[in-house]
Amino acid sequence: MAELRVEHPSVVVVLGSREACDAFDVPDGTTPMRIAPGELMLVDAPGVAEVRVPTGSAPWVEDVSDAWVALVLEGVDALDAFARLSELELPVDGWIQGEVVRAAAKVLVAGDRVAILVPAMLATHVEDRIRTDAAEVLDS
Amino acid sequence: MGTIEFEGRPVSFEQGDTIASALYRAGVRTFSRSLKYHRRRGLYCGTGDCPNCLMTVDERPAVHTCTAPCAEGMRIERPGGFPNAERDLLHVTDSLHRVMPVGFYYKTFVRPRFAWPIAERVIRRATGLGALPPTTAATRQVVRHEHVGTLVVGAGIAGLDAARDAGAGGTVLVCDEGRIGHAIAPGTTADRLAELAADVRSLENVAVLEGFTALGIYEGLHVPLAGDGELVHVHPSRVIVATGAVEEHGVFPGNDLPGVMLGRAAAGLAGIHGVRPGERAVVVVRTGEGIDHLRALTAAGVEVVAVAVSTALASRLPSDGVGEIVVDGDVLEARGGSSLRSVALRRDGRGKRFDCDLLVLSLGLSPRDGLARMALPGEPVTLVGDAAGETRHDGRCGHDGTVCLCEDVSIHDLEQAWDEGFRNAEILKRYTTTTMGPCQGAMCGRALACFAASHADGRSHPPEGTDAPRTTARPPTRPVTLESLAAGVHEIVDKRTSLHELHVSAGAQLDRSGGWLRPFSYGDWRGEYRAVRERVSVMDVGTLGKFTIAGPGADELVDRLFPCRTDDLEPGRNRYVLTLDEAGYVMDDGLLGRADEGDWYLTSTSGGAGRMDARLRNLADRLELDAHVLDRTAQWGAINVAGPYARDLLERLTDDPIGAEAVPSRGFADVTVAGVPCRAVRTGFVGELAFELHHPRRRGPGLWRELVDAGREWDLRPHGLDALELLRLEKGHVYLGQDTMPDDTPAKLRMSWAVDMSKPWFVGKQALERMSSLPPSRRQVGLEFSGGPADTAALRGEPLIVRGTVVGRITSAERSIALDRAIGLGWVRTVDGGFPERLETGSGATARVVPTPFYDPKGGRMRG
Amino acid sequence: MAIEIPCSWCGPRPFTEFSFGGEWRELEAPDPEADFARVYLPENREGWQRERWFHAMGCRTWTTVTRDTRTNAIEGS
Repeated sequence: MAELRVEHPSVVVVLGSREACDAFDVPDGTTPMRIAPGELMLVDAPGVAEVRVPTGSAPWVEDVSDAWVALVLEGVDALDAFARLSELELPVDGWIQGEVVRAAAKVLVAGDRVAILVPAMLATHVEDRIRTDAAEVLDS
Repeated sequence: MGTIEFEGRPVSFEQGDTIASALYRAGVRTFSRSLKYHRRRGLYCGTGDCPNCLMTVDERPAVHTCTAPCAEGMRIERPGGFPNAERDLLHVTDSLHRVMPVGFYYKTFVRPRFAWPIAERVIRRATGLGALPPTTAATRQVVRHEHVGTLVVGAGIAGLDAARDAGAGGTVLVCDEGRIGHAIAPGTTADRLAELAADVRSLENVAVLEGFTALGIYEGLHVPLAGDGELVHVHPSRVIVATGAVEEHGVFPGNDLPGVMLGRAAAGLAGIHGVRPGERAVVVVRTGEGIDHLRALTAAGVEVVAVAVSTALASRLPSDGVGEIVVDGDVLEARGGSSLRSVALRRDGRGKRFDCDLLVLSLGLSPRDGLARMALPGEPVTLVGDAAGETRHDGRCGHDGTVCLCEDVSIHDLEQAWDEGFRNAEILKRYTTTTMGPCQGAMCGRALACFAASHADGRSHPPEGTDAPRTTARPPTRPVTLESLAAGVHEIVDKRTSLHELHVSAGAQLDRSGGWLRPFSYGDWRGEYRAVRERVSVMDVGTLGKFTIAGPGADELVDRLFPCRTDDLEPGRNRYVLTLDEAGYVMDDGLLGRADEGDWYLTSTSGGAGRMDARLRNLADRLELDAHVLDRTAQWGAINVAGPYARDLLERLTDDPIGAEAVPSRGFADVTVAGVPCRAVRTGFVGELAFELHHPRRRGPGLWRELVDAGREWDLRPHGLDALELLRLEKGHVYLGQDTMPDDTPAKLRMSWAVDMSKPWFVGKQALERMSSLPPSRRQVGLEFSGGPADTAALRGEPLIVRGTVVGRITSAERSIALDRAIGLGWVRTVDGGFPERLETGSGATARVVPTPFYDPKGGRMRG
Repeated sequence: MAIEIPCSWCGPRPFTEFSFGGEWRELEAPDPEADFARVYLPENREGWQRERWFHAMGCRTWTTVTRDTRTNAIEGS
C-alpha cells in the first residue's frame, strides 16, 4: 500500500542562458533539476531566492513555491500507484518531467517515495485522480 | 459440478467446462443466429476466433462461450432471433436473400427518403450481437502502465519458449487471452506446455498475465492489454507475437450448418470435455494435428464414416475405424435443415454422399498474424511459432458458401460486388463488410484475399503457392468493450484558483470557462453589476495568463511578437496588445507592461495562457534570443477591485501610494495590500476605476477576505462572469473567439490603432501589408436593437439581414442596465461597396450600427 | 497510440506530451506577395518533412524534427 500526502515544498527557479545555468552554484542538500536548457529548478532550497538580477548575464532567481503543489506517494506500492497515473518511466532515484493525469508534472523519486509536483491550479484535479485511479493501492 | 442458467432453464456443468461445452453436453446445437439472414449457427472454431458462439453472459453481450469458463449461476442468452434463437421467425430473411443483396441498405431504402428511418429501426432490432442493457453501469477499469524489455503475446509453446529465452536478457511480460494450456487436450503437447510454463513462472524477471487480450500494436511501441476490469498499457522495447494460428475456414455450400466444425473444436469437446460432438462423422484431414483430432474423435466413440485426407498424410492415418478413406478428397457440399444431415465428398472426380451429423475440418492453419501486421516496417516486432507460418494457397478458394460468418457474406455476394466494380480485397471489404465483424478477419480474411486474387486478371484461382495480398490489419484484434476503450480517458481537467473554496462557500454558481472552474454569479448578477458600476466589487481573475519576460533579449522578443510599439513604454506603464498569427489574424490579446529594463510583465486571456507561452518561446527560439519566459499563471493569483470606490477601498488596506500618479491609468506598480505583496495593474475592461491585484497564490484567500471585509463600508459584493458579460459589452470590448472570426484582422475589428505598421517587423506584418490593398469586406460593429425580443440575450447568434440577404451575425447581445437599451456586437459584410447601417435581425428586430463604447465613451470613469 | 517525438532536451516522448507547431517555415518572406506562399502553401509532403514540436508537458522547449509522414519514422532516431 501507499500513502498519499499533499505537501508544499519550497521551489526556486533559475532562469538564464545555458552557460549561466551550467555555472549556477547549487547549494548543498537541494535537488537540482535542469528542466530546460535555460531553466534550473531547485526543490527544498529555502533562502536561495534572495537575489533577483533582472538583466545582464546573471540568471534570474526566484522563489516560485506558490506555483507548485507536491502530491507525495510513499510506501511499498508507491511505484505501482504511479504506474496507474502516467506512462512515464520513472528513474530508480532521480527525477523526470512529463505528463501525469494530464498535468505537466515534475516527478522526484527516492526509494519508495514518489513526489509529483504539479501546477497549483491542477493540484485538486491531480489529487482526485490519484484517489480514484490508484484507489486499490492507497491507504484510505 | 455446478449449474448455469441458459435462457431460463438450468444446465449443469463439469469441472473445466467452458460455457459452450456445457451447452453442447446439454444438447444445444444452435449457438446463435447469423447477423443478416438469421441462419442457424453451431459451435465452429472452438478457439475464440469465429462469431458463432457469441452469447450474452450475465448481461454482457458478445462473449466467446467456447473459451469462457463456466461459473456457478451464470445467466446465458443467445442474441438475435425472434422470439428466440431456437425458433426464429426472422429466418424468413434467408429466403429473401435475392432482394437483400450485398449493400442493400445503400440501395433499397434510398427513396422515398422517409422510409430509411423506419427501415433503420426494423433493421436495428433484427440484427446485432445482443443488447447492452441501458441500466448497466460501467464497471471501473484499473489502468496501469508497464515498461518491459520484451512483451510476448500468446503463452503457447512458441510464446513460452520465447519468453524463457528473452528472460535471460531482461524483463519480460507474457500475456495470454486465456489460462495457459486451458484449451489443450491432455497429451504430449499439454505436457510440454505445462513444463515450459513451470520454467517460465520460476524466472524472477518474467511476469505472466493470464486473461489479457492484446488489442493492437501502436507506435511507440505501445500494446494495450484488456483484462477483466483492468487495462494494462505495455510499453515494451520489443514485441514477440506468438498468437499461433487459426484453423482454416472451409468455404463450400452448407459450410455454416450446425454440425460443421473445425478440428480443434471437435477434438476439444471430445478430448478435454468428454462430450461426443456427434454420432456419425466425416473428417477432412489436411494438417498433422488433424490426425490427432481424428484419434480424439474415435476414442470418444464417434463413428467416422469417411475421411478425406491429403496425399501427404494418407500414410499416417490409423489403419482401422476411420471408415472410407478418400485420398486427396474435398468437400463438395454439406446438406441439412436445422443441422447437418449429409456431406458430399469429391472422389475420383465424382461426388459421393455420406450421411452424417458431424463434419470435422482440419484444412490448414492460417497464422494469427494480425497483431504483427499492425507494426510499422522496422519496428522490433517478431512473429514466432505458428503465427510466423506462411499463408499459402492451395488454389482452393471455394466456389460457393459463406465466406464471412460474422457479416453473413457469401461467395455469391462477393461475386456480385465484383461485378459492380469492387475489384480488390480492400474495397470488397468496405463494400461487403467482409472481415469487419467480431472475428476481424480471423476466419474470412484469407478467404477474401483468395477470392480477390483468384478473380484478378480473370483467373479462376490464384497462382498456387503465392500469398494473396491481405487487407490492412488494424486494432482491435478482438472484440473490445466500451469500458476498455474509455479506461483511463478523462477529458475534463478543471483548473481551480486559490479562491475556489471561498466561492463555493459564498454560494457561487461555478461552471467551466477556458479550462477553469469559475463563478458565473453569486446569485444576483444584476446586483453584482450594480456594485461595479455604483460602488465597488471584487472578481477572481486569477485565471489570467501571467508572464514575466526577462533577459538580454526580452526587449526584442516582445517588440517582434506584438504588433504595437513597445520601445516607448516607460517602466510602470502598460499597453493593450494583440497577438497576430502569421496570416495577420488576431489570435489573442493581453496587457503588456514594462516593469524595468529588460523585465516585462504580460497578462493574457485565461484560455490563451498556454498558447501565449508557446508562442513566446517559439519566437525566442527561432530568433535565437537570450530571453526567458517565466509563466506565473500558477504562481500568482489575481483579484480585480473595480468600481468608483476601488481606490478608497485599497487606501484602507495599504500604506503605499495608489493615486493616479503612483498607479496611473495604463500603468502598474508593486504595492503591499493587507500585508500581501501585490502587483497592482490598472485595467479598463469593465469601464470603471479598476486595479487588478496580482499576488502570490497562497496569499489569495487572505487578501480576498480582507478586501471583502473592508468593502462592507460600500456594500461590496463580488461579481462573476455573468455580470462581466454586460460590463464589458457596455464598453464595446470584444471577447476574442465569441465576438470574432478566425480570420479577423485588426482592421476588421476596428483595432488598427493597436498596430504600428512603421515597425520594421512583427509577426503577421507582411500579411497585413499584403491585405492592406484589398477592399474592406467585413467588420465588427456595435449594434443597438429596437423591436427585439423581451430577452435581449436571445438575439445572440441571429443573422443580420439587408433586403432579404444575410450579411452578418449578432455575436453578443444584452439589455444594457446603464443605458436601458438593447445593445450588442456583431459583424457585417459590405453591401454595394459600403457597410450597411440599418439591418434586420433574424427574428425581425431592427439593428442599427452605432459607435462603441456604448457606456462612458470618453472613458472618464475608467481613468478615475 | 503514441508516435514518439525526440525532444531535444527530454529525449523521446509520446507525441501526446507535445503541441504540434506545423511544418517548419521561414519567419519572413522576401516580400509581402511571397509571404502568401510562405503562409498558405505548405508543402504537406508525403515523405520526409521538417516540422516543429513544442514539449508542452515537459521542458517547454521547441524541437525541429524531420519525420516521414508515411511511416512516422523520425530522422536520426
